[in-house]
Amino acid sequence: MELEKEIFKDGMPKGYYTQNDNRKYVLDTNHCWSEEVCVAAIVSEVRANIENARKEVIAGLKSPLCYHMAVRQMDVKFLARAAGIAVFRVKRHMRPEIFAKLKSSVLDRYAVALAVTPEELKTVPDSEA
Amino acid sequence: MATELKANGKPFVHYHAAHCESGVTSALLRDKGMDISEPMVFGIGSGIFFGYLPFMKMTGLPISTFRAAPGSIFHKTAKRLGAEFVTKKFRNPQKGMDELKQVLKTGQIVGMTTNMYWLPYLSERFRWNFLGHNIIALRETDGVFRISDSMLEHPIDCPVADLERARFAPGPANPHGYMYYLKSVNPRPDLRNASIKGMKSTCFMMLNIPMPIFGVRGMRFLAKKVIKSPDKLGFDEACRQLVGLIRWVEEVGTGGGGFRYMYAAFLQEAAQLFGSGELADLSKEMNAIGDSWRAFSVTAARIVKQRNKEKETFAKAGGLMLICAGREENFFKDLGKVVGKLKT
Repeated sequence: MELEKEIFKDGMPKGYYTQNDNRKYVLDTNHCWSEEVCVAAIVSEVRANIENARKEVIAGLKSPLCYHMAVRQMDVKFLARAAGIAVFRVKRHMRPEIFAKLKSSVLDRYAVALAVTPEELKTVPDSEA
Repeated sequence: MATELKANGKPFVHYHAAHCESGVTSALLRDKGMDISEPMVFGIGSGIFFGYLPFMKMTGLPISTFRAAPGSIFHKTAKRLGAEFVTKKFRNPQKGMDELKQVLKTGQIVGMTTNMYWLPYLSERFRWNFLGHNIIALRETDGVFRISDSMLEHPIDCPVADLERARFAPGPANPHGYMYYLKSVNPRPDLRNASIKGMKSTCFMMLNIPMPIFGVRGMRFLAKKVIKSPDKLGFDEACRQLVGLIRWVEEVGTGGGGFRYMYAAFLQEAAQLFGSGELADLSKEMNAIGDSWRAFSVTAARIVKQRNKEKETFAKAGGLMLICAGREENFFKDLGKVVGKLKT
Protein backbone atom coordinates (compact mmCIF):
# COMPACT_ATOMS: atom_id res chain seq x y z
CA MET A 1 0.00 0.00 0.00
CA GLU A 2 2.76 2.41 0.94
CA LEU A 3 4.82 1.44 -2.09
CA GLU A 4 2.07 2.55 -4.46
CA LYS A 5 1.96 6.09 -3.11
CA GLU A 6 5.72 6.28 -2.62
CA ILE A 7 6.64 5.36 -6.20
CA PHE A 8 4.59 8.20 -7.62
CA LYS A 9 6.21 10.87 -5.42
CA ASP A 10 9.22 11.32 -7.70
CA GLY A 11 8.26 14.67 -9.19
CA MET A 12 7.82 13.27 -12.69
CA PRO A 13 4.11 13.37 -13.38
CA LYS A 14 2.99 12.22 -16.80
CA GLY A 15 0.35 13.92 -18.89
CA TYR A 16 -3.18 12.61 -19.35
CA TYR A 17 -5.87 14.06 -21.58
CA THR A 18 -9.05 15.11 -19.81
CA GLN A 19 -11.88 17.46 -20.70
CA ASN A 20 -12.14 20.79 -18.95
CA ASP A 21 -15.39 22.65 -18.20
CA ASN A 22 -15.77 23.78 -21.83
CA ARG A 23 -15.43 20.18 -23.08
CA LYS A 24 -12.03 21.03 -24.53
CA TYR A 25 -9.19 18.53 -24.06
CA VAL A 26 -6.30 19.61 -21.85
CA LEU A 27 -3.29 17.88 -20.34
CA ASP A 28 -3.67 16.97 -16.71
CA THR A 29 -1.26 15.20 -14.37
CA ASN A 30 -3.72 13.14 -12.34
CA HIS A 31 -3.14 9.44 -12.93
CA CYS A 32 -5.64 6.62 -12.70
CA TRP A 33 -5.66 4.33 -9.67
CA SER A 34 -5.08 1.22 -11.81
CA GLU A 35 -1.74 2.62 -12.92
CA GLU A 36 -0.55 2.76 -9.32
CA VAL A 37 -1.46 -0.88 -8.80
CA CYS A 38 0.25 -1.97 -12.00
CA VAL A 39 3.48 -0.03 -11.44
CA ALA A 40 3.71 -1.14 -7.81
CA ALA A 41 3.23 -4.77 -8.85
CA ILE A 42 5.93 -4.54 -11.50
CA VAL A 43 8.44 -2.68 -9.32
CA SER A 44 7.96 -5.05 -6.39
CA GLU A 45 8.36 -8.03 -8.73
CA VAL A 46 11.65 -6.65 -10.05
CA ARG A 47 12.89 -5.98 -6.52
CA ALA A 48 11.89 -9.48 -5.40
CA ASN A 49 13.70 -11.00 -8.39
CA ILE A 50 16.90 -9.16 -7.50
CA GLU A 51 16.68 -10.15 -3.86
CA ASN A 52 15.98 -13.81 -4.72
CA ALA A 53 18.92 -13.91 -7.10
CA ARG A 54 21.20 -12.38 -4.46
CA LYS A 55 20.19 -14.97 -1.88
CA GLU A 56 20.68 -17.83 -4.31
CA VAL A 57 24.16 -16.59 -5.21
CA ILE A 58 25.13 -16.34 -1.55
CA ALA A 59 23.73 -19.83 -0.94
CA GLY A 60 25.95 -21.07 -3.78
CA LEU A 61 23.11 -22.21 -6.05
CA LYS A 62 23.62 -19.69 -8.85
CA SER A 63 26.51 -17.68 -10.25
CA PRO A 64 26.83 -13.90 -9.70
CA LEU A 65 25.91 -13.49 -13.37
CA CYS A 66 22.33 -14.36 -12.42
CA TYR A 67 22.20 -11.48 -9.93
CA HIS A 68 23.57 -8.90 -12.36
CA MET A 69 21.12 -10.10 -15.00
CA ALA A 70 18.25 -9.53 -12.56
CA VAL A 71 19.53 -6.04 -11.71
CA ARG A 72 19.44 -5.08 -15.39
CA GLN A 73 15.94 -6.60 -15.74
CA MET A 74 17.03 -8.97 -18.47
CA ASP A 75 16.22 -12.61 -19.10
CA VAL A 76 18.55 -15.29 -20.47
CA LYS A 77 17.53 -14.72 -24.08
CA PHE A 78 18.03 -10.96 -23.78
CA LEU A 79 21.43 -11.34 -22.14
CA ALA A 80 22.52 -13.86 -24.78
CA ARG A 81 21.70 -11.38 -27.55
CA ALA A 82 23.30 -8.48 -25.68
CA ALA A 83 26.57 -10.30 -25.00
CA GLY A 84 26.64 -12.22 -28.29
CA ILE A 85 26.84 -15.60 -26.54
CA ALA A 86 24.61 -18.60 -27.31
CA VAL A 87 21.61 -19.14 -25.02
CA PHE A 88 22.71 -22.61 -23.90
CA ARG A 89 26.11 -21.25 -22.90
CA VAL A 90 24.55 -18.42 -20.90
CA LYS A 91 22.37 -20.98 -19.13
CA ARG A 92 25.46 -23.05 -18.32
CA HIS A 93 27.23 -19.97 -16.99
CA MET A 94 24.46 -19.57 -14.44
CA ARG A 95 26.01 -22.53 -12.58
CA PRO A 96 28.62 -21.28 -10.10
CA GLU A 97 31.20 -24.04 -10.69
CA ILE A 98 31.22 -23.35 -14.44
CA PHE A 99 31.17 -19.57 -14.01
CA ALA A 100 34.29 -19.77 -11.78
CA LYS A 101 36.30 -21.31 -14.64
CA LEU A 102 35.37 -18.75 -17.31
CA LYS A 103 38.06 -17.08 -19.39
CA SER A 104 38.53 -13.33 -19.00
CA SER A 105 37.50 -12.73 -22.63
CA VAL A 106 34.04 -14.19 -21.97
CA LEU A 107 33.73 -12.27 -18.69
CA ASP A 108 34.58 -9.04 -20.52
CA ARG A 109 31.72 -9.58 -22.94
CA TYR A 110 29.28 -10.03 -20.08
CA ALA A 111 30.75 -7.00 -18.33
CA VAL A 112 30.18 -4.80 -21.40
CA ALA A 113 26.65 -6.08 -21.93
CA LEU A 114 25.70 -5.49 -18.29
CA ALA A 115 27.67 -2.24 -17.89
CA VAL A 116 29.65 -3.41 -14.85
CA THR A 117 33.39 -3.92 -14.37
CA PRO A 118 34.73 -7.50 -14.61
CA GLU A 119 35.58 -7.41 -10.89
CA GLU A 120 32.05 -6.40 -9.94
CA LEU A 121 30.69 -9.18 -12.12
CA LYS A 122 32.25 -11.81 -9.86
CA THR A 123 30.72 -10.49 -6.64
CA VAL A 124 27.31 -9.59 -5.24
CA PRO A 125 26.58 -7.03 -2.50
CA ASP A 126 26.34 -8.49 1.01
CA SER A 127 23.29 -6.57 2.10
CA GLU A 128 20.06 -5.65 0.43
CA ALA A 129 20.49 -2.56 -1.74
CA MET B 1 6.04 24.78 -20.66
CA ALA B 2 9.62 25.98 -20.30
CA THR B 3 11.93 27.93 -22.58
CA GLU B 4 15.40 26.65 -23.30
CA LEU B 5 18.27 27.80 -25.53
CA LYS B 6 19.48 25.76 -28.50
CA ALA B 7 23.10 25.44 -29.65
CA ASN B 8 22.76 28.46 -31.94
CA GLY B 9 21.34 30.66 -29.17
CA LYS B 10 17.75 30.62 -30.39
CA PRO B 11 14.96 29.70 -27.98
CA PHE B 12 13.17 26.36 -27.89
CA VAL B 13 9.90 26.00 -26.03
CA HIS B 14 9.42 22.74 -24.18
CA TYR B 15 5.86 21.47 -23.84
CA HIS B 16 4.65 18.67 -21.62
CA ALA B 17 3.10 15.89 -23.71
CA ALA B 18 1.37 12.60 -22.97
CA HIS B 19 3.16 10.37 -25.44
CA CYS B 20 6.85 10.41 -26.30
CA GLU B 21 6.76 10.01 -30.07
CA SER B 22 3.87 12.35 -30.91
CA GLY B 23 5.28 14.83 -28.37
CA VAL B 24 8.70 14.76 -30.03
CA THR B 25 7.23 15.09 -33.52
CA SER B 26 5.07 18.06 -32.57
CA ALA B 27 8.06 19.69 -30.83
CA LEU B 28 10.21 19.27 -33.95
CA LEU B 29 7.47 20.75 -36.15
CA ARG B 30 6.84 23.63 -33.75
CA ASP B 31 10.53 24.38 -33.72
CA LYS B 32 10.35 24.84 -37.50
CA GLY B 33 7.52 27.32 -37.10
CA MET B 34 4.45 25.15 -37.63
CA ASP B 35 1.89 25.52 -34.86
CA ILE B 36 0.58 22.00 -34.32
CA SER B 37 -0.64 20.24 -31.20
CA GLU B 38 0.23 16.76 -29.97
CA PRO B 39 -3.21 15.17 -30.62
CA MET B 40 -3.17 16.58 -34.17
CA VAL B 41 0.17 14.89 -34.84
CA PHE B 42 -1.15 11.69 -33.31
CA GLY B 43 -4.18 11.71 -35.61
CA ILE B 44 -2.33 12.69 -38.79
CA GLY B 45 0.34 10.06 -38.13
CA SER B 46 -2.40 7.40 -37.60
CA GLY B 47 -1.07 6.63 -34.14
CA ILE B 48 -4.06 4.75 -32.81
CA PHE B 49 -3.95 1.00 -33.24
CA PHE B 50 -4.27 -2.30 -31.49
CA GLY B 51 -1.96 -5.27 -31.78
CA TYR B 52 -1.39 -8.29 -29.60
CA LEU B 53 2.02 -9.88 -30.14
CA PRO B 54 2.32 -13.01 -27.99
CA PHE B 55 5.51 -14.12 -29.74
CA MET B 56 7.39 -10.90 -28.86
CA LYS B 57 8.07 -10.61 -25.17
CA MET B 58 9.37 -7.76 -23.05
CA THR B 59 10.64 -8.87 -19.65
CA GLY B 60 8.66 -12.09 -19.98
CA LEU B 61 5.31 -10.45 -20.73
CA PRO B 62 3.67 -10.46 -24.17
CA ILE B 63 3.28 -7.13 -25.95
CA SER B 64 -0.21 -5.77 -26.51
CA THR B 65 0.27 -2.37 -28.05
CA PHE B 66 -2.34 0.36 -28.40
CA ARG B 67 -0.39 2.46 -30.87
CA ALA B 68 1.23 2.02 -34.28
CA ALA B 69 4.78 0.74 -34.75
CA PRO B 70 7.53 2.93 -33.20
CA GLY B 71 8.83 5.47 -35.69
CA SER B 72 5.76 5.41 -37.91
CA ILE B 73 4.08 8.44 -36.31
CA PHE B 74 7.01 10.71 -37.14
CA HIS B 75 7.44 9.22 -40.58
CA LYS B 76 3.79 9.45 -41.61
CA THR B 77 3.21 12.91 -40.13
CA ALA B 78 6.27 14.41 -41.80
CA LYS B 79 5.33 12.87 -45.14
CA ARG B 80 1.69 13.92 -45.02
CA LEU B 81 2.55 17.50 -44.06
CA GLY B 82 5.15 17.74 -46.81
CA ALA B 83 8.18 18.14 -44.57
CA GLU B 84 11.68 17.08 -45.56
CA PHE B 85 13.38 14.91 -42.98
CA VAL B 86 16.55 12.92 -42.42
CA THR B 87 16.77 9.62 -40.55
CA LYS B 88 19.98 7.81 -39.69
CA LYS B 89 21.12 4.58 -38.07
CA PHE B 90 24.66 3.64 -37.10
CA ARG B 91 26.68 0.48 -36.54
CA ASN B 92 29.48 2.27 -34.74
CA PRO B 93 28.43 4.08 -31.50
CA GLN B 94 31.32 6.55 -31.75
CA LYS B 95 30.23 7.63 -35.22
CA GLY B 96 26.66 7.97 -34.03
CA MET B 97 27.61 10.29 -31.18
CA ASP B 98 29.93 12.37 -33.41
CA GLU B 99 27.21 12.81 -35.98
CA LEU B 100 24.76 13.87 -33.28
CA LYS B 101 27.17 16.51 -31.94
CA GLN B 102 27.82 17.82 -35.43
CA VAL B 103 24.14 18.16 -36.30
CA LEU B 104 23.44 19.86 -32.97
CA LYS B 105 26.13 22.45 -33.71
CA THR B 106 24.27 23.57 -36.82
CA GLY B 107 21.36 24.65 -34.61
CA GLN B 108 19.14 21.68 -35.40
CA ILE B 109 17.34 19.81 -32.65
CA VAL B 110 17.46 16.07 -33.07
CA GLY B 111 15.00 13.36 -32.12
CA MET B 112 16.46 10.05 -30.95
CA THR B 113 15.22 6.59 -30.06
CA THR B 114 16.57 5.24 -26.77
CA ASN B 115 16.21 2.41 -24.31
CA MET B 116 14.40 3.69 -21.25
CA TYR B 117 16.33 1.57 -18.78
CA TRP B 118 19.61 3.37 -19.36
CA LEU B 119 18.33 6.96 -19.07
CA PRO B 120 19.74 8.01 -15.70
CA TYR B 121 17.38 10.93 -15.00
CA LEU B 122 14.26 8.78 -14.91
CA SER B 123 13.07 7.38 -11.60
CA GLU B 124 12.72 3.71 -10.77
CA ARG B 125 9.17 3.26 -12.02
CA PHE B 126 10.13 4.25 -15.58
CA ARG B 127 13.24 2.14 -15.80
CA TRP B 128 12.56 -1.04 -17.71
CA ASN B 129 13.90 -2.40 -20.97
CA PHE B 130 11.55 -0.54 -23.28
CA LEU B 131 13.43 0.09 -26.51
CA GLY B 132 11.36 2.78 -28.14
CA HIS B 133 11.47 5.90 -26.00
CA ASN B 134 11.86 9.10 -28.04
CA ILE B 135 13.66 12.18 -26.74
CA ILE B 136 15.08 15.39 -28.24
CA ALA B 137 18.66 16.58 -27.85
CA LEU B 138 18.89 20.38 -27.67
CA ARG B 139 22.59 21.13 -27.23
CA GLU B 140 25.83 19.75 -25.86
CA THR B 141 28.12 21.46 -23.34
CA ASP B 142 31.17 19.91 -21.65
CA GLY B 143 30.12 16.31 -22.02
CA VAL B 144 26.53 16.89 -20.94
CA PHE B 145 23.55 16.88 -23.29
CA ARG B 146 20.53 19.04 -22.65
CA ILE B 147 17.55 16.77 -23.24
CA SER B 148 13.94 17.69 -23.81
CA ASP B 149 11.93 14.61 -22.80
CA SER B 150 8.35 15.40 -23.72
CA MET B 151 7.09 12.99 -21.06
CA LEU B 152 8.56 15.25 -18.35
CA GLU B 153 7.53 18.79 -17.49
CA HIS B 154 10.98 20.39 -17.84
CA PRO B 155 14.16 19.87 -19.91
CA ILE B 156 16.85 17.89 -18.16
CA ASP B 157 20.59 17.03 -18.34
CA CYS B 158 22.06 13.71 -19.43
CA PRO B 159 25.78 12.74 -19.46
CA VAL B 160 27.30 11.64 -22.78
CA ALA B 161 28.25 8.13 -21.67
CA ASP B 162 24.73 7.35 -20.45
CA LEU B 163 23.14 8.72 -23.59
CA GLU B 164 25.47 6.62 -25.74
CA ARG B 165 24.49 3.57 -23.72
CA ALA B 166 20.79 4.36 -24.11
CA ARG B 167 21.06 4.93 -27.85
CA PHE B 168 23.14 1.82 -28.48
CA ALA B 169 21.67 -0.51 -25.86
CA PRO B 170 22.91 -4.02 -26.63
CA GLY B 171 20.32 -6.74 -26.94
CA PRO B 172 17.33 -7.57 -29.10
CA ALA B 173 15.80 -4.61 -30.99
CA ASN B 174 18.89 -2.45 -30.47
CA PRO B 175 17.89 1.08 -31.59
CA HIS B 176 21.31 1.46 -33.32
CA GLY B 177 21.37 5.16 -32.42
CA TYR B 178 18.34 5.91 -34.59
CA MET B 179 18.11 9.69 -34.97
CA TYR B 180 15.90 11.96 -37.04
CA TYR B 181 15.47 15.64 -37.71
CA LEU B 182 13.52 17.91 -40.01
CA LYS B 183 15.33 19.75 -42.79
CA SER B 184 12.48 22.00 -43.82
CA VAL B 185 8.71 22.15 -43.52
CA ASN B 186 6.02 23.19 -45.93
CA PRO B 187 5.13 26.82 -45.02
CA ARG B 188 1.49 26.21 -45.97
CA PRO B 189 0.76 22.65 -44.87
CA ASP B 190 -2.46 21.06 -46.07
CA LEU B 191 -3.83 20.04 -42.68
CA ARG B 192 -7.21 18.99 -44.04
CA ASN B 193 -5.80 16.61 -46.62
CA ALA B 194 -3.31 15.22 -44.11
CA SER B 195 -6.06 14.60 -41.51
CA ILE B 196 -8.21 12.77 -44.06
CA LYS B 197 -5.29 10.57 -45.06
CA GLY B 198 -4.50 9.85 -41.41
CA MET B 199 -8.09 8.90 -40.56
CA LYS B 200 -8.48 6.71 -43.65
CA SER B 201 -5.34 4.76 -42.92
CA THR B 202 -6.42 4.38 -39.27
CA CYS B 203 -9.75 2.90 -40.34
CA PHE B 204 -7.91 0.42 -42.56
CA MET B 205 -5.50 -0.59 -39.81
CA MET B 206 -8.21 -1.12 -37.22
CA LEU B 207 -10.68 -3.04 -39.39
CA ASN B 208 -9.08 -4.60 -42.43
CA ILE B 209 -5.67 -6.08 -41.65
CA PRO B 210 -6.20 -9.78 -42.48
CA MET B 211 -4.57 -11.17 -39.33
CA PRO B 212 -6.37 -12.14 -36.13
CA ILE B 213 -3.92 -10.30 -33.87
CA PHE B 214 -4.30 -6.74 -35.19
CA GLY B 215 -7.07 -4.18 -34.90
CA VAL B 216 -10.53 -5.03 -33.62
CA ARG B 217 -9.95 -8.74 -34.25
CA GLY B 218 -6.87 -8.61 -32.04
CA MET B 219 -8.91 -7.16 -29.17
CA ARG B 220 -11.39 -10.04 -29.39
CA PHE B 221 -8.56 -12.56 -29.58
CA LEU B 222 -6.92 -11.13 -26.47
CA ALA B 223 -10.24 -10.83 -24.62
CA LYS B 224 -10.91 -14.54 -25.10
CA LYS B 225 -7.41 -15.29 -23.85
CA VAL B 226 -7.94 -13.14 -20.75
CA ILE B 227 -11.19 -14.96 -19.92
CA LYS B 228 -9.49 -18.36 -20.14
CA SER B 229 -6.22 -17.31 -18.50
CA PRO B 230 -6.92 -18.20 -14.82
CA ASP B 231 -7.80 -21.79 -15.78
CA LYS B 232 -4.90 -22.15 -18.16
CA LEU B 233 -2.08 -20.38 -16.33
CA GLY B 234 -3.18 -20.37 -12.70
CA PHE B 235 -4.26 -17.30 -10.77
CA ASP B 236 -0.81 -15.83 -10.04
CA GLU B 237 0.53 -16.05 -13.56
CA ALA B 238 -2.78 -14.76 -14.97
CA CYS B 239 -2.48 -11.75 -12.64
CA ARG B 240 1.05 -11.14 -13.89
CA GLN B 241 -0.17 -11.11 -17.48
CA LEU B 242 -3.02 -8.81 -16.51
CA VAL B 243 -0.60 -6.39 -14.83
CA GLY B 244 1.38 -6.36 -18.07
CA LEU B 245 -1.81 -5.51 -19.93
CA ILE B 246 -2.71 -2.63 -17.57
CA ARG B 247 0.75 -1.27 -18.21
CA TRP B 248 0.04 -1.07 -21.94
CA VAL B 249 -3.35 0.56 -21.38
CA GLU B 250 -2.44 3.17 -18.78
CA GLU B 251 1.24 3.39 -18.06
CA VAL B 252 3.32 3.70 -21.24
CA GLY B 253 2.55 7.37 -21.88
CA THR B 254 -0.85 6.75 -23.40
CA GLY B 255 -2.57 9.88 -22.14
CA GLY B 256 -5.09 7.58 -20.45
CA GLY B 257 -7.39 4.88 -21.73
CA GLY B 258 -4.93 3.36 -24.19
CA PHE B 259 -4.53 6.52 -26.35
CA ARG B 260 -8.31 6.75 -26.80
CA TYR B 261 -8.61 10.12 -25.04
CA MET B 262 -5.82 11.53 -27.17
CA TYR B 263 -7.61 10.40 -30.32
CA ALA B 264 -10.82 12.00 -29.05
CA ALA B 265 -8.85 15.24 -28.64
CA PHE B 266 -7.67 14.91 -32.25
CA LEU B 267 -11.23 14.38 -33.49
CA GLN B 268 -12.33 17.47 -31.59
CA GLU B 269 -9.66 19.55 -33.33
CA ALA B 270 -10.49 17.98 -36.68
CA ALA B 271 -14.19 18.79 -36.15
CA GLN B 272 -13.27 22.44 -35.74
CA LEU B 273 -10.98 22.31 -38.77
CA PHE B 274 -13.67 20.89 -41.05
CA GLY B 275 -16.60 22.49 -39.26
CA SER B 276 -18.20 19.06 -39.15
CA GLY B 277 -20.78 18.14 -36.52
CA GLU B 278 -20.43 14.44 -37.30
CA LEU B 279 -16.78 14.44 -36.28
CA ALA B 280 -17.70 16.19 -33.02
CA ASP B 281 -20.20 13.40 -32.27
CA LEU B 282 -17.54 10.80 -33.06
CA SER B 283 -15.17 12.56 -30.66
CA LYS B 284 -17.75 12.09 -27.89
CA GLU B 285 -18.11 8.42 -28.79
CA MET B 286 -14.31 8.00 -28.69
CA ASN B 287 -14.27 9.59 -25.25
CA ALA B 288 -16.84 7.02 -24.13
CA ILE B 289 -14.67 4.22 -25.55
CA GLY B 290 -11.74 5.62 -23.57
CA ASP B 291 -13.94 5.49 -20.48
CA SER B 292 -14.68 1.83 -21.08
CA TRP B 293 -10.98 1.05 -21.48
CA ARG B 294 -10.42 2.82 -18.19
CA ALA B 295 -13.21 0.76 -16.62
CA PHE B 296 -11.44 -2.35 -17.90
CA SER B 297 -8.12 -1.29 -16.36
CA VAL B 298 -9.77 -0.52 -13.02
CA THR B 299 -11.51 -3.91 -13.02
CA ALA B 300 -8.21 -5.58 -13.85
CA ALA B 301 -6.48 -3.70 -11.02
CA ARG B 302 -9.21 -4.85 -8.61
CA ILE B 303 -8.63 -8.45 -9.68
CA VAL B 304 -4.92 -8.08 -9.03
CA LYS B 305 -5.59 -6.54 -5.60
CA GLN B 306 -8.22 -9.25 -4.92
CA ARG B 307 -10.97 -6.80 -4.01
CA ASN B 308 -14.58 -7.98 -4.14
CA LYS B 309 -13.67 -11.40 -5.50
CA GLU B 310 -17.18 -12.55 -6.46
CA LYS B 311 -17.88 -9.56 -8.69
CA GLU B 312 -14.49 -8.72 -10.16
CA THR B 313 -13.54 -11.74 -12.22
CA PHE B 314 -11.45 -12.40 -15.31
CA ALA B 315 -14.69 -13.07 -17.19
CA LYS B 316 -15.85 -9.54 -16.38
CA ALA B 317 -12.53 -8.01 -17.51
CA GLY B 318 -12.63 -9.99 -20.75
CA GLY B 319 -16.27 -8.99 -21.25
CA LEU B 320 -15.35 -5.32 -20.92
CA MET B 321 -12.67 -5.81 -23.59
CA LEU B 322 -15.23 -7.42 -25.89
CA ILE B 323 -17.53 -4.43 -25.34
CA CYS B 324 -14.64 -2.10 -26.24
CA ALA B 325 -13.96 -4.15 -29.38
CA GLY B 326 -17.61 -4.00 -30.47
CA ARG B 327 -17.84 -0.26 -29.89
CA GLU B 328 -14.59 0.40 -31.72
CA GLU B 329 -15.69 -1.68 -34.69
CA ASN B 330 -18.84 0.44 -35.05
CA PHE B 331 -16.85 3.60 -34.38
CA PHE B 332 -14.29 3.03 -37.13
CA LYS B 333 -16.97 1.96 -39.60
CA ASP B 334 -18.78 5.25 -38.92
CA LEU B 335 -15.53 7.20 -39.13
CA GLY B 336 -14.83 5.66 -42.54
CA LYS B 337 -18.23 6.83 -43.81
CA VAL B 338 -17.80 10.34 -42.37
CA VAL B 339 -14.29 10.72 -43.80
CA GLY B 340 -15.54 9.73 -47.26
CA LYS B 341 -17.86 12.74 -47.24
CA LEU B 342 -15.25 15.30 -46.11
CA LYS B 343 -13.83 17.68 -48.68
CA THR B 344 -10.19 18.74 -48.73
